Amino acid sequence: MNMNIGLSDILLVSPMIALFLASLVPITAKVLRGNREQNPIITLCQALGGIVVAVGLLVVFGGAGKTAFNNGLIFDGVTQWMGVIALLSAGAAMIMMYENPATTGRQFSELIFLAMSSAVGMLILVSAVDLLMVFIGLEMMSLALYLMIAMSHEEKLSKEAALKYFILGSFASALFLYGVAFIFGTTGNTNILSFMENAADLIQTSRLFLFGMVFVVLGFCFKVSIAPFHAWTPDVYQGAPTPHTAFMATAVKTVSFAAFLRVIATRSLVGSEHLFDMLQWLAVITMIVGNTAAILQNNLKRMLAYSSIAHSGYILVGVITAGVSDDAAFGASGVIFYLLSYGLMTLGAFAIASMLEKSENHIVDVDDLAGLAKQRPMIALCLTVFLLSLTGIPPTLGFFGKFYLFNAAIGEGLMWLAIWGMISSVISVYYYLRPIVVMYMKEGQADVAEHSLNATTVTVVVMAIAILFLGFVSGPLFTAVEKSLL
Amino acid sequence: MILSTIVFLPLLFALIVAVWPNAKTLRPLAMGFAVIEFIVSLALFQQFDPNTANLQMVERYMWIERFGISYFFGIDGISLWLVLLTTFLTPIIVLASWTSVTERIKGFHVCLFILQTAMLGTFLAMDAIFFYIFWELALIPMYFMIGIWGGSRRIYATVKLFIYTFAGSVMMLVAMIYMMYLTQETTGQMSASLLDFYKLKIPFVGGTFFSLQTLLFFAFALAFAIKVPAFPVHTWLPDAHVEAPTPGSVILAGVMLKMGTYGFMRWVIPLFPEASEYWSWLFMLIGTVGIIYGALVAMVQPDVKKLVAYSSVSHMGYILLGLFAFNSYGMNGGLYQMLNHGISTGALFILIGMIYERTHSREITKYGGLAGVLPLFTIFFFIITLSSIAVPMTNGFVGEFFILMGTFQAQPVFAYFAVTGVVLGAVYMLWMFKRVFFGEQGELVKDEHHPLHDLNAREIAVLVPLVIMVFWMGLFPNNFLNYSKASVDHLVHNKNSYNLTINQPGAPATTAATATTTAPATEQTTAAAQGDK
Repeated sequence: MNMNIGLSDILLVSPMIALFLASLVPITAKVLRGNREQNPIITLCQALGGIVVAVGLLVVFGGAGKTAFNNGLIFDGVTQWMGVIALLSAGAAMIMMYENPATTGRQFSELIFLAMSSAVGMLILVSAVDLLMVFIGLEMMSLALYLMIAMSHEEKLSKEAALKYFILGSFASALFLYGVAFIFGTTGNTNILSFMENAADLIQTSRLFLFGMVFVVLGFCFKVSIAPFHAWTPDVYQGAPTPHTAFMATAVKTVSFAAFLRVIATRSLVGSEHLFDMLQWLAVITMIVGNTAAILQNNLKRMLAYSSIAHSGYILVGVITAGVSDDAAFGASGVIFYLLSYGLMTLGAFAIASMLEKSENHIVDVDDLAGLAKQRPMIALCLTVFLLSLTGIPPTLGFFGKFYLFNAAIGEGLMWLAIWGMISSVISVYYYLRPIVVMYMKEGQADVAEHSLNATTVTVVVMAIAILFLGFVSGPLFTAVEKSLL
Repeated sequence: MILSTIVFLPLLFALIVAVWPNAKTLRPLAMGFAVIEFIVSLALFQQFDPNTANLQMVERYMWIERFGISYFFGIDGISLWLVLLTTFLTPIIVLASWTSVTERIKGFHVCLFILQTAMLGTFLAMDAIFFYIFWELALIPMYFMIGIWGGSRRIYATVKLFIYTFAGSVMMLVAMIYMMYLTQETTGQMSASLLDFYKLKIPFVGGTFFSLQTLLFFAFALAFAIKVPAFPVHTWLPDAHVEAPTPGSVILAGVMLKMGTYGFMRWVIPLFPEASEYWSWLFMLIGTVGIIYGALVAMVQPDVKKLVAYSSVSHMGYILLGLFAFNSYGMNGGLYQMLNHGISTGALFILIGMIYERTHSREITKYGGLAGVLPLFTIFFFIITLSSIAVPMTNGFVGEFFILMGTFQAQPVFAYFAVTGVVLGAVYMLWMFKRVFFGEQGELVKDEHHPLHDLNAREIAVLVPLVIMVFWMGLFPNNFLNYSKASVDHLVHNKNSYNLTINQPGAPATTAATATTTAPATEQTTAAAQGDK
């Protein structure tokens, strides 16, 4: 294979390069200082600087639909939007890492380095159109994450979570790779763009290709915690330090869905009724499992973990819509818009969970929120906004996210998925309301960690305001997303 | 701009109240705001033309162009009085909560004003999604109002309220989105405008449940029936009422329940005429059962507030009956009864709140002989009781009379049964009145340690406007009906081809011009073409 790397390739991947270089700064500084940790705030600023530069480069150079590295990477609207969402989520998660007792302090530079490396993997993942590139992105992102979780100062849960995540993550990767091998076997190629045109035919005629596609899809289902492949999620989300959980629930999920979308966009779903049916059922099961299991949880993080499983189900509805729609941009923009709203509200909710953790071994139960409304009215109000938005109550952004997603589904005739989505939203009301009830309507002393000036608070407030106001401009925003995908 | 001003002014007030630094002046400030809002809403009469059924004072701007969702306010005779009812009750509620809400006063008033915006928006929005946003928004402040300032089982009640109403409305949202796609199929352009929805001809096959119109009909009807609340889905209401603080109960009974009946008038009946007609027996049955069931259950309540709550179920049953009679008497009566119920039941809840503040009990058996101790209170309570049991010359009479007339014309069977509700209503209200106010003095009334004080000036000021309305509406119903008649009759006579036209008095004025530029040209058909037969 003849490979020419030109300036345009370098420019297109410049966000990754910028991120990678920025990730080196903190650990280099640490080495130069004789292995002494620099002030964490400086480390954080370096990381955020890298993210800002990467977002800027992504906005400037990405999005034109160009491919780089011999069609290995593509830079279109999906790359741009999903990449930006993931990077901003990563940035917010890093701000939380700076302040959470389980992650701050010693080895903070290493942590930031790993988080940034993971973000580089994410950028590869959102732009990959070659299945092997997808695999590289997945692994790069995941390996850094396994380490990050294991590095927590917390003694037991995190190690367990890291191991669980590692084993199941590796299993998912293996499944994915196995599928890729089948696809390579039938098409002689792993590039999505090359078999995109005839994927719908191939899947009907070739059993091997069907196998490959199913395994690839299942690999993704593991990664984005679609039921019944979700079992690792609650344990890992609960055990990992909260900032990492936020990172996984938003940034990791966003980019995994981006890659998922690219595979589905080959229109293989149109070719295979079975795959199409299977995915629809998976979406329905995920919505039900996530929402009903969340009702039973008393641990705040575990509840949010199950809720994020339910949200994966909603997003999968959008992914399926994009896969069968003649106007794929419509379904895909629903997914992107949903991920944007989901990212904001989930990050916000986890950020508040993080603020409530006073020590690294702290477990926050929903009942611990009692009295928060009196002690910290602002935080309670923000959490209320996040939870109402997660429920999908207007006029919050979460409502518009659901509206666009289910609108696309109904437009494609997937009425029953929309109805299931709505029914499970009703189920979700029950557990999303519980923290609000406890905060506002029960007496008690909430255990709030004392911070005088809190960067997490600032992010939380910014996100709450964004959730309230982005809804009003959601129309133009949605159109912008859709136009960028055409 | 007047409709936007009316809807969003309370939201602005809520923001000001939220940042207001001085806790002592908070109540007067809120009171001032509520009065200002009422006065502003009176300005509607200046521009409102009672002789037309058209949509007036329209404000329309494209909001989410991709899906044809617009920022779309308009008013006609059906919404006019509900808007005024909302703005009229709010100052009364603020005044009534003066001493009953003592904790987190700021939060309470913020909730109240947000709620006011949501309710006014619901009555004025003419776009499906825009309407849905206000409809759901109303749930949040109400949820907090009951959950924070309510009674001992408030959490159960508030969660139940939220889940019931939310569960009802999500299917409506799905139906709305589906109808947006229907507009796209027929006109080529997606639209969420109610006016475009009216033009849809949705296929209806009588007798089968799975006809498209029937399914959409039930998706909407369920949402509204829960809000009303109609008979089998009413159980959230007594809980919510009993646990809600006085102002919460007043809003709930006074305005929020009307969102449901208004929904039937504005959405269900004109959008799905054939299905409405076909299933009218079901809703008249539900209404009738509600009337009798509510009255019977009210009769055995030991708690005054719960009694009034069940009487609400009964009264709302009348409204449903009137609406589904599909004739001029029934519909006009239904609309009139919405206002009556807002005034009388609102007043009853306020009165119960006043006595509860004094004795901290609502148990009927602990009272007795109250008339001798609180004469003024007794007089007010008596007047409102009369209005509630629909004695002639009070507002309640006019509404119930019209509804029963309409029902006799349409489905006499239901009327026979509904009439017993009038009797039963008199029984439970008067029996309660007798037990509370006459006879031997109960333990609470003769408690020497806590002598009861009669109404003070503030409390009288709360009640007088309500009593004035009771008689004004009872003696001169035409003063009110004249404003709504054109719209209601238009709905009755053109039910099967209902259409609303945007009013353009004289030459296109500025607001009308906006409407012309953004609205699809087909909407410009004149009302004359429809013709009031």
